[in-house]
Amino acid sequence: MTAISVAQLTKHFKVHQKEPGLVGSIKSLFSRKYHTVKAVNDISFQIQEGELIGFIGPNGAGKTTTLKCLSGLLYPTSGQVKVLGFTPWDRKPEFQKQFSLVMGQKNQLWWDLPAIETFILNREIYEVPPKQYKNTLDKLVQLLDVKSILNVQVRKLSLGQRMKCELIAALLHNPKVLFLDEPTIGLDVVMQKTMRDFIKDYNREFNSTIILTSHYMDDVKELCKRVIIIDQGRILFDGKLQDVINKYARNKIVELVLSKPVAETKLRQFGDLREYEFPRARINVPRKQAADKASKLLKKFPVADLNILEPPIEAIIREVFTGKLKRK
Amino acid sequence: MPLSKYISIAQISWQNGFVYRLNFVMWRVRMVIQTLTLYFLWAAVTSNTNQIYSYSQKQLLTYILLSSFVVAIVFSSRSIDAQGEIASGNLNNHLIKPFNYFFYWLARDFSDKTLNIFFSIIEIAAIIFLLKPPFLLQTHPLLLAQFTLSVVLAAALYFVFSFIISMTTFWYYQHNGWAQRFLIFTLVNTLGGGLFPLDMLPPLFARITLALPTAYFLFFPMQLYLGRLSLQEILIGYSMQLFWIGVCLALARFLWHQGLKVYGAYGR
Repeated sequence: MTAISVAQLTKHFKVHQKEPGLVGSIKSLFSRKYHTVKAVNDISFQIQEGELIGFIGPNGAGKTTTLKCLSGLLYPTSGQVKVLGFTPWDRKPEFQKQFSLVMGQKNQLWWDLPAIETFILNREIYEVPPKQYKNTLDKLVQLLDVKSILNVQVRKLSLGQRMKCELIAALLHNPKVLFLDEPTIGLDVVMQKTMRDFIKDYNREFNSTIILTSHYMDDVKELCKRVIIIDQGRILFDGKLQDVINKYARNKIVELVLSKPVAETKLRQFGDLREYEFPRARINVPRKQAADKASKLLKKFPVADLNILEPPIEAIIREVFTGKLKRK
Repeated sequence: MPLSKYISIAQISWQNGFVYRLNFVMWRVRMVIQTLTLYFLWAAVTSNTNQIYSYSQKQLLTYILLSSFVVAIVFSSRSIDAQGEIASGNLNNHLIKPFNYFFYWLARDFSDKTLNIFFSIIEIAAIIFLLKPPFLLQTHPLLLAQFTLSVVLAAALYFVFSFIISMTTFWYYQHNGWAQRFLIFTLVNTLGGGLFPLDMLPPLFARITLALPTAYFLFFPMQLYLGRLSLQEILIGYSMQLFWIGVCLALARFLWHQGLKVYGAYGR
């Protein structure tokens, strides 16, 4: 069943441009120049129920704007969106009771009160039956290990503790669709891992549909089978993470362990020598020639060991964003 | 519309209010100083005369003291914070939830008003006890009922009015909007009759101010309490309150729907 469908979604913002300095400020009092930012520019995709999708792209790519349109916070400039059969910006309560949006840098918790107060408020707002509320809360509190901090003022919590409570507040009504915008931002490595495991479990247990945006490739690698790569408001890639490599990677890496030293210049003839510190060497070679080059290396030099590796996904995506790569 | 949602909102808002006890105390002290200033001013003006304009000293001092209580009911409002939420993008948190934003602020205002009313009663009782001013204690049940109804309508009108001011943030971005808030509050307080009864103004100005919605925040309820109005004036007064509530509600609704279309949901 399709949970989310987006067709030709476009969102433009009019932004006021101010010239620098005080003079610019004074000028802007009288006349303002506007220009249009195409935050999201004609994107389409479909997501099935139970999928966990990674939404990746550099800052300003349009990820958050897309999520805001899907949550009904923004009216699009054009295009159609259906989430669970609803048009998000109609903001129907029946729709709102079935989804949640978590933003790593925005909190819904009442800052001066303990988190439990926000939970109780959300129970009422989402009209969660008391029994279900108790079960869900107990489970979430246990999974995220926050029992001891529920009665502490939110402003006295650490960032990690607060994010856990934010997640609980967002999940108390068992949303079928979950938008997670940078849920691991600012968290330490251990806490990132906790969050990741939790998201994975949640997706599996409730068969919920999740869109996750993150700057950390680890989040995406570990959680998402399918990724949508977006840049400058357009979708560059939509498919399996593994296919990103097949589609964009130009090179493979040949890793050598030599049994005797070989002159650097000789190794350079085989490709882009990235590292050489006897006995180890790493050479980037064009993908299609990898096998051929490897066999020649084996014949020509005293090789103790040889591996052909895929380049790391981070590197490929970085190259996609910096525009070094064109679609094959 | 399940009421329990909004009761919970009022409750949490109340708890939140208690966290900032000191802020609240400072706010109340400011109100007391303002009331005392006006009280001593008008007590001095009326010290040698029993009648000023159409008011006896007793009526005028009652007007001043009791209007500070009406201020606590009508003007105490948290919905000012709505403009901060629009500006900062925190409105996002509310927009995705299944509740009505307008009723959300109504619930929060309700909790704020109960706190202010409670303290205001204590303050006025203390002032009356300590200064022993000539105070007209209205005992006529009909007048008291009319007064109560007018205060409730005035509070409703001010709430919608204040909501409209907050909605302007959709178009006119302001960080927290204190500058315009002060300006508007000063205007509303003066034109509402918070400093002196509006019928002390020259007739032309008095007529103009009575046509504005502001006159129905304070001046009209106080006139009812003092029993200074004819039946015709009472009916006109209520009609004006209802008329302005209707106009402001329609405008608020319009601005809210238009505002959401231009809302950028920024803050990230």
